[in-house]
Amino acid sequence: MANRTYEVMYIVDSETPDDKIGKLNEAVGKLIEKEGGTIVRMDDIGRKRMAYPIQKKTEGYYVLFEIEGSGQEIAELERRMRVNDMIIRYITVRVDEERDAAARKREKRERRAEKRASFRSAPEAASAPSEARVDN
Amino acid sequence: MADKDIEILNDRDMGVGEDVIGDRPRRYQRRRPRNVIPDYVDWKDVDFLRNFIPERGKIMPRRISGITAKDQRRLAKAIKRARSMALIPFVAD
Repeated sequence: MANRTYEVMYIVDSETPDDKIGKLNEAVGKLIEKEGGTIVRMDDIGRKRMAYPIQKKTEGYYVLFEIEGSGQEIAELERRMRVNDMIIRYITVRVDEERDAAARKREKRERRAEKRASFRSAPEAASAPSEARVDN
Repeated sequence: MADKDIEILNDRDMGVGEDVIGDRPRRYQRRRPRNVIPDYVDWKDVDFLRNFIPERGKIMPRRISGITAKDQRRLAKAIKRARSMALIPFVAD
């Protein structure tokens, strides 16, 4: 299957000791690789105040993964996250399609800018030889 | 050229449409600030998303921000994602 890119973010209960969080993150990484995905980026954001309380907690430990894969590993990962008590919230976002669209948009704009630039310099180049002809 | 027609306004000027003069509300003026939405709207970029969330925590309507309908959809989606991860409040009081 075509490769897809996902962003997976989860919030771990901040009362969990650090070594346990570390272990959890390691387990997530291992699971993804076992299921055939690759980790593009792993961002340990750390403890943050949440915008509103979740499960009566005001603080959470944020972790972000960027994963490339078929989608199968996401299914398994979500299944595990759902039953894990330490994880109070998670989200998976597929980002490859929107990123590609953004890249296409940027490219289009650059091409247009180039065209405009060439138009602007063209009249100068065209007028120079005509002057030379008058001289002859 | 065309840029001269576009008024660039600061945040304070944007609510003008809600003014009431006499008994008749003033018509909304078309204000189209420059397109400020990046090609890729990142739902994790809280600082950027906050530009479109007034104090109350609601998503700024398009008629005030002046962004395109397409951008508004992308932005709304990003804001909702950020809300679900408690990066941005649903309601702020």
